[in-house]
Amino acid sequence: MTENPTIKVSIRDLYKIFGSDPRGALAKVRAGMGKAELQETTGHVLGLRDINVDIAEGRITVIMGLSGSGKSTLIRHLNRLIEPTAGEIFVAGENILTWNETRLRRLRREAMSMVFQKFALLPHRTVLENAGTPLATRGTRRRDWESEAHKWLNRVGLGGNAEQYPHELSGGMQQRVGIARALTSNAGIMLMDEAFSALDPLIRSDMQDLLIELQGELQKTIVFITHDLDEALKLADHLVILKDGAVVQQGDPQHILLKPADPYIEDFVADINRARVVRVRSVMQAGPVDGATVGDVAPNDNLESVIARAGGAMDPRFRVVHDDKVIGFLEMAMVMRALVPSQSRTEAA
Amino acid sequence: MATYDGVFDALGLREWCDADARTGPMSMEDLMASAQGGSDDSAEAARSLWDLPFPSLDALAESCAAVPRSRDLTVGLERGFLDIRDSLKVVVDPVTQPLSWMLREMLWIMTATPWWIMIPILLVITWLVGRSWRVVTLVAVFIGFLAFVDHYVPAMQTMAIIFVCAFICVLFGVPIGIAMSRSDRLQRSVTPILDMLQTLPPFVYLIPLIFLFSVTEPKLYGIAIILYAIVPVIRLTDLGIRLVDKDVIEAADAFGMTNRQKLFGVQIPLALPNIMAGVNQTIMMSLAMVVIASLVSAPGLGVLVLRGIRNLELGTGLVAGLGIVLLAILLDRVTKSALARIDTSRKQT
Repeated sequence: MTENPTIKVSIRDLYKIFGSDPRGALAKVRAGMGKAELQETTGHVLGLRDINVDIAEGRITVIMGLSGSGKSTLIRHLNRLIEPTAGEIFVAGENILTWNETRLRRLRREAMSMVFQKFALLPHRTVLENAGTPLATRGTRRRDWESEAHKWLNRVGLGGNAEQYPHELSGGMQQRVGIARALTSNAGIMLMDEAFSALDPLIRSDMQDLLIELQGELQKTIVFITHDLDEALKLADHLVILKDGAVVQQGDPQHILLKPADPYIEDFVADINRARVVRVRSVMQAGPVDGATVGDVAPNDNLESVIARAGGAMDPRFRVVHDDKVIGFLEMAMVMRALVPSQSRTEAA
Repeated sequence: MATYDGVFDALGLREWCDADARTGPMSMEDLMASAQGGSDDSAEAARSLWDLPFPSLDALAESCAAVPRSRDLTVGLERGFLDIRDSLKVVVDPVTQPLSWMLREMLWIMTATPWWIMIPILLVITWLVGRSWRVVTLVAVFIGFLAFVDHYVPAMQTMAIIFVCAFICVLFGVPIGIAMSRSDRLQRSVTPILDMLQTLPPFVYLIPLIFLFSVTEPKLYGIAIILYAIVPVIRLTDLGIRLVDKDVIEAADAFGMTNRQKLFGVQIPLALPNIMAGVNQTIMMSLAMVVIASLVSAPGLGVLVLRGIRNLELGTGLVAGLGIVLLAILLDRVTKSALARIDTSRKQT
């Protein structure tokens, strides 16, 4: 991964208020009124408040929050399925809120594709036709999109199901069609709205692996919505945590995990299997190694594998080696410290 | 002296009442009373609060001649209709002329074609619509039976009328239903009209039609049947499109479909089971109306039923009635099998 990826999509000062007079309510929100108070006094629902997020090209940005936190509302602003009350959304440097219907349609057809929680396949069309929908919508002739749709169906492992109808497939397979459909559009940006939430855990894990694998090949700009922290930590290059329509913390998921910004996030990360999620690079001591070491570990190894290497012993030290260069060292004490949730949490408990 | 004299006197309206007083008996009752002569006074004495008449137009007119009587209302309606009849005819006559042609042509085609061509054609149509040998056999048996008891021609006439009317119902009903599904305001304003068309006794709208068109014209009964039978196809088209899964519509939007692509590619195909149910209902209702329409010269089995009633020919009426039942079962099974075919290939999960 490069250090400074270009910003593909950027959200600036975005507000969304649902109700009869969102403009009037906006002034109150800007003056500092909270979500509960706004709903009580004016009957308006605060959907999003002052969102500023940069989405890097070729990375997976995960937006996480509990239900009602506004995450699905936020992702629908990126292709303007929902219009904001105030703010700006830049895609490749252009404010898409100023675009007319024709340009917007071109954006949806060519630059952004979407995967849905409930799959949203067309039940009266075959799997192949569903996968080809984005190209057919653009007016491509059937024989031209058929090969493309076949290619992506094969890629997600559904090569043999092309002539079936969606209702003949299991949930996991249907969502594979959903992903194939998004890939067929060949758009640079993929919006995934709780794409795996409706699947059972084993299938979900498979699908996450599939997505990581595809992402390794394709380097799409992916915006992924989830309410599941494990999923978020598994996929995210950049993690944005939403609460009540506002961003509570965003950044490198490792950083959020080790240094949660407020009690809400501490609560959130408390139940996580940290050994599996925290990586060596996040806890190691950078710099030259002094003293003896018993072996080498890679910076992206998780702590679980380090503990396994140490065989449970507390004294081994490891060199951290990346691209044949020693970049730091790791003591088991550091590992143990990282496994305990942050300070304020322990005090509170 | 009539009951409400005092009221008009008290209001000082006596002069207005007597200004254009009409004399002479106004009803049969008055005529009888005046013929008996002088019995008025004894009747007057018997009048008590118990006998107080409702202050209806007729009761008020007794006290005050200037008040119109209820009879004037019905007469006024009739006059009003007759006054606009000619200008209405100028517009309605040419617009509905094609209906007359279609009915006449269809009746001619279906009765003039020899039975050994017509019956196979009907069976082929049945096969194409339903793809079910059971239904084809049923149709063959029913039509064979009707022909065997020499009801072939009236049955074909009835079917010809139903084909034309149901076709026109679908032609207009589906677009009206689509328009209603897109606008809540249109839905709110059309629904009461549909309610009225459905509840108004069918005989009632025959009356103004008789005034408008000559009884020899097929469009007279054509319009009556269409007005009565178009309601379900409108209602169910509207309902069907409104019931299309919101997630699928959102997906269509997200992939940049135009409204037209959405309508023909998603909404109508997904609403088709409901629309077909509406067509089935429409056909059943036109069949019910075709009997009543025989009062205004619609040919077919209805004429035989009518003859049965008029001349108390029990057998004729019963056999013709049975023929209508057979046609109803036949048309219902054919449309239902079409519906079932759509349902299995487009089953929603």
